[in-house]
Amino acid sequence: MMKIKRKLLQNCGPAIRLAAISLILCGLVFPLVITGFAQLIFPSQANGSLVQFHGKAVGSSLIAQNFSLPIFFHPRNDSASGVDPDITVQDAYSQIPRISAATNISVDTLQQIVNKNEEGTFWIFGTPYVNVLKLNLALIQTGDLAYNGFPASSGL
Amino acid sequence: MGWKEYFLAAVIVNIFQMTIAFVIFSFQGVLPLNPQGFPGLSWDLAFMQVISFATNTNLQHYNGEGNCVQLPNCSNLTGVPGAPGLSYLSQMMAVQFLQFTSAATGISVAIAMIRGFIAHAKDLGNFYVDFTRSLTRILLPLCFVASLVFVGLGVPQTLTGYERIVSTVEGATQTILVGPVASLVSIMQLGTNGGGYYGANSAYPFQNPNPASDIFQIFLMLLIPTSLCFVFGQLIGKKRESRPILWGAYALFALDLLIAFIPSFPVVGPGMEVRFGGFFSVFWTVVTTTVTTGSVNASLSGVNPLVILSAFNGMLIQATPGGEGVGLMYMVMFIVLTVFIVGLMSGRTPEYLGLKITARDVKLVMIAFLVHPVIVLIPTVLAYSTGAASAIGVGTNSIGFTKILYEFTSAAANNGSDFLGASANTPFFNVSTAIVMFLGRFAPIALLLALGGSMINRKRLITDVGVRTDSFLFSIVIVGSILVLVLLTFFPFLALGPIREFFQGHANGF
Amino acid sequence: MQTDSRDRIMATRFSRMLSVRRPALVSRRVFIDSLVRLNPLRLVANPVMLIVEITFFIVAAMAIYPEGFPSVASLALQSFYVEVALILLITVWFSTLSDALAESQAKNTANSLRRLEMEVSSKKIFMEEGSKRIVPTPSRELRKDDLILLEKSDTVPIDAQVIEGIAMVDESLLTGESTAVRKAPGDDVIGGSQVLSDTLTVKVTVNPDETFINQMIRMVESSKRPKTPNEQAVTIVLIGLTAIFTILIGALLGVSLVLSLAADLSVLIALYVCLLPTTIGALLPSIGLSGISRLYKEKIVAKSGRAVETAGDTDVILLDKTGTITVGNRQAVEFVPFPGFNEKDVGEAAFLSSWHDDTPEGRSLIRLAYENGFVPKEMNSLDASEVYEFSASTRTSGVKLAGGTGFMLPKSGGTGRERGRLRRKFEPHVEGGVPIGSDEIEIIKGAPDAVKKIVKSVPADYDKIVQNISAAGDTAMALSRNREAIGIVRLRDVLKPDIKEKIMAVKVMGIRPVMITGDQPLTAKSIATEVGIDEYQPEAKPEDKYHIVKREQSETRIVAMIGDGTNDAPALAMADVGLAMNSGTQAAKEAANMVDLESNPAKIIEVVMLGKQLLMTRGAVTTFSIANDVAKYFAIMPVLFASTVPELKALNVLGLGLNTAVLSALIFNAIIIPLLIPLAMRGVTFKPSGTMTLFLKNTVIYGVGGVIVPFVGIKLIDMGISLL
Repeated sequence: MMKIKRKLLQNCGPAIRLAAISLILCGLVFPLVITGFAQLIFPSQANGSLVQFHGKAVGSSLIAQNFSLPIFFHPRNDSASGVDPDITVQDAYSQIPRISAATNISVDTLQQIVNKNEEGTFWIFGTPYVNVLKLNLALIQTGDLAYNGFPASSGL
Repeated sequence: MGWKEYFLAAVIVNIFQMTIAFVIFSFQGVLPLNPQGFPGLSWDLAFMQVISFATNTNLQHYNGEGNCVQLPNCSNLTGVPGAPGLSYLSQMMAVQFLQFTSAATGISVAIAMIRGFIAHAKDLGNFYVDFTRSLTRILLPLCFVASLVFVGLGVPQTLTGYERIVSTVEGATQTILVGPVASLVSIMQLGTNGGGYYGANSAYPFQNPNPASDIFQIFLMLLIPTSLCFVFGQLIGKKRESRPILWGAYALFALDLLIAFIPSFPVVGPGMEVRFGGFFSVFWTVVTTTVTTGSVNASLSGVNPLVILSAFNGMLIQATPGGEGVGLMYMVMFIVLTVFIVGLMSGRTPEYLGLKITARDVKLVMIAFLVHPVIVLIPTVLAYSTGAASAIGVGTNSIGFTKILYEFTSAAANNGSDFLGASANTPFFNVSTAIVMFLGRFAPIALLLALGGSMINRKRLITDVGVRTDSFLFSIVIVGSILVLVLLTFFPFLALGPIREFFQGHANGF
Repeated sequence: MQTDSRDRIMATRFSRMLSVRRPALVSRRVFIDSLVRLNPLRLVANPVMLIVEITFFIVAAMAIYPEGFPSVASLALQSFYVEVALILLITVWFSTLSDALAESQAKNTANSLRRLEMEVSSKKIFMEEGSKRIVPTPSRELRKDDLILLEKSDTVPIDAQVIEGIAMVDESLLTGESTAVRKAPGDDVIGGSQVLSDTLTVKVTVNPDETFINQMIRMVESSKRPKTPNEQAVTIVLIGLTAIFTILIGALLGVSLVLSLAADLSVLIALYVCLLPTTIGALLPSIGLSGISRLYKEKIVAKSGRAVETAGDTDVILLDKTGTITVGNRQAVEFVPFPGFNEKDVGEAAFLSSWHDDTPEGRSLIRLAYENGFVPKEMNSLDASEVYEFSASTRTSGVKLAGGTGFMLPKSGGTGRERGRLRRKFEPHVEGGVPIGSDEIEIIKGAPDAVKKIVKSVPADYDKIVQNISAAGDTAMALSRNREAIGIVRLRDVLKPDIKEKIMAVKVMGIRPVMITGDQPLTAKSIATEVGIDEYQPEAKPEDKYHIVKREQSETRIVAMIGDGTNDAPALAMADVGLAMNSGTQAAKEAANMVDLESNPAKIIEVVMLGKQLLMTRGAVTTFSIANDVAKYFAIMPVLFASTVPELKALNVLGLGLNTAVLSALIFNAIIIPLLIPLAMRGVTFKPSGTMTLFLKNTVIYGVGGVIVPFVGIKLIDMGISLL
């Protein structure tokens, strides 16, 4: 027991030093260095992959945002993260009749827009999906009258 | 160092590190790098979380990004008393810091134990040296590269605070929850920690933006536990002895995958992210328990009971190939136990690597094996008998039972994935899981270090006459023996949880 | 010399006692003993069985008063509780029965040994103020150095040495030889023999507890037998498994209560007992004990159980050529004369030099000479000859005949049968003999290189002939007459009948045999090759064994060896397994960890096999016991929560009846114990093969088999119960 006690005291010095050094190294230096490199090499990704539209950030391509108007594709609301930016192509197709009815865009055009934005998952594992924000920005870019005033300015 | 001194050094260093992290969690409100102005964590949550991170468990009873009022826009963050969210400083100097150190501790103790088995070894090595080398030669360089890859794939890395989108497409406001995420994701996966920056862990798009980042994270999780299987053979100077460890681990891993994929090929279901689809969600769930990382890329509530059963398998065996370092230690434990019981049938007193297995070895190994059922089963019963489960709305049906059993299994296995999440932020669950995590980490480490330590100076016999542990057939035997030993211990409880659920036919019942 | 004769007597005595016919397997005494052992206090040494008995008391209480167990027992199941309790009790009884059987078997051995130490009253001598006082004392109370008076028809109470007096003693009870033996001061008398005439004063040489017999008795009495290291380790595994299942069942009871799953306590207990390693728990003591018993059957006394286990690990066996590989004597097969002499000269010289030589080798020379008609005419002077005994320093022996008087049958020497044969063949025609000259004849035989040194001149092809003989695996013996080399006798080793198979078995098991022999390299090589041994030590001196043991051990091998001489003692002490011959010296026997009472060196191989068998049996029953548990889950889990978790009925893969499944599993669990008693007693049978082959074979039989057998067994029992 005495021996353990002595060893305990002997180890305290190096243990505190090691704890402090590892704290600075892993908890501070490392993330700061990574932040520096990240901001230098991948500034867009490092700051949240923000999507600019007409010079204004309208959201992040990786984070879903709320779409409730019938003229837009709607994101899912049951996903694990709650901010799933994507919907399956099937899901997008199922929303086409609603959008087509609310706008003057034909079903065919809408299907083309969906297909153009389709992203595949890895190899055969998974179903093709589309990013809702990108899809909706593509809708705005069609110039259809229904999208006049979108993206909305603050306070709409 | 002898095993006692080595263990002592590891514990002391860990305690100092935990103390630092505890202080940071508790006082993050007044510390710098807190652009969101999060107040400090309650004492029981801070206590539970430092143990959780230091034990490589990463069970999280909070949402790191804060608590959003309404998803997906998260226009506001609400204050949850005691569990507000973590400041950048906490994420870096508490979470990330302990994720590095617990991984380094795991690698160090495993290497120390292996040293006991090396012929002519004088001691188990020096913890301070092993720890420092693990950090500077393995974890930091790999994480440096991995972090930049993640940023390139879309994972944020910034310290400027949450982005406020003044106007979304429909004109609402949105908070974009960015922070030093990439540097954390790299170590949480490489170190088999699993504690995410966000409450939704790797389901959150910023932590895991696309299939490429998903596959890369799976790769990082498996990298070090798998490599250590090879290290074992290399260090003891008999490369073939890595075989039962590697083959056994991967055979059991394959079996887990098989169980998980029995219920038809998975499609995107509720609780899954579209970009990963069913396959990668299920595959991840198996991998994350097979190396006891505990990160998730889908909600566990969304998967088939058999996937949960497979996850239980991974956490109960802990050696498939298991967590950073400790997985290897568990496999050696299983091999020693198997060689002892089954090896007797070769007509020789059992030996492993030419070392005769003594009654004391068997005692150490049996106690190490006994730790798990004690710290999983007793708290599970207590959670119900004290009313702690019903207090957070967990029922007594099979779904509820699975959740509670999973919570303590995950804590004991130092895995960290769970069903309860921030809802378990109650004094009972915080304290009970903290105790379970601590015992689940340090009791087996102490016992298996003692096993390694007792091998030093032991007479080594020629190894080519006993049971050939490097043979393919022994790998089969080890797989069978692990399955029998582990399933015998936990089968009734699995039967009342996921197995029952499976027979009820509620494919998505959780 | 005295010690030797005593040991030989002991050997005969043991052999006889050990081969006493055993009584029927389960005698009344065993049956009663097994019931007595059900006393919980006696079960403390066997925790697994103690727990089973405790569960019996709980279920019995449930059967008597179910109201006392609210929410875990019901009145409707009372008769079921009775059945469960009964099976639990029977399970424990099977275990005590196995213990009782093994111990009775061992006790038979012990008792037959004890009978040798008959309790007799002896006349102890007290010296008081110069006068003797005789006090009748039971033999148990005698101590070393006590003086005893032995008179006519007294039985010698204990091993002792004669101090005073000369008497005839009958040792026939012990040796089987009916002649009375004369005992004088300095001679040993052995406990159990009887004084036929006269009076002796003897001094006791051992304490009653220290006798060899007592040591053996201690080893077979299980209560006094210390657990071997391996047994200790297995016990730890059993305790560990018991702890795991106790926690499991405790937690399951807790879960059932907190989740309101309404599990019945008796079913839970049934699951508990089924999971406990009852099979190995019940049989572990018997396995070790019957291992020792089997060793005694081979008439080998082990000083510790550990030595037997170590024998199973043997990597290298040192085999003495003589006695182990060959029958211990060589036979003369040919006389090879040197130039200038003929076969007859050589044969007659061999005859003369061997007439007084009692060794089997010497006798074979006589036989060969006689068969060839080479009976020398100098026979009459054989009676008056001077005999040179064999000495290790000269490595020769011989005879010197005074000037003879011609042919006359000798009156002594040789054996009676040989003398009779000679008489029939050569009728002596001249009474008193015919003078044949008065020259002295000196014949010396011995190792060729030794003889070479004493002869006046060495024939040119001396070495060549010797070498040719050696190369053929034979041994050359040179003969000289009056310091003149006359020829060589070719001696041939005779192999033991089954030695080749045994060596093959040893090698197959991965054990390296090393032959130790005093022969020259060529001879050694030839014999080694013939029996299939690759390694041999020719021209070995006694200390060579020690060096070989040391060398092999430094290469971390486990070495087994045999020995008998005092020279062997250091090697015997150092070897991991040392088997001493009972005919050997006391020093050798003390250094060894086993003694073979029959002094058959080839038994070292049996010892190794026995060690392996013991370990295998222990591992097989342990593995089998654990593997059995899988099926029991499938039998009991569907029933345990039948009322509240009906989904688990899907686990009922065997299609057992819900009312009979628990009983079937319990009955299987109990009945497997007596079914495996014979296996525990006689050990796992195995064909000698490599470690891995044995490992895999047994893993398949007892591991995989252990998983499958209970599925079949429980199903059959269930079908049986349903029929009733």
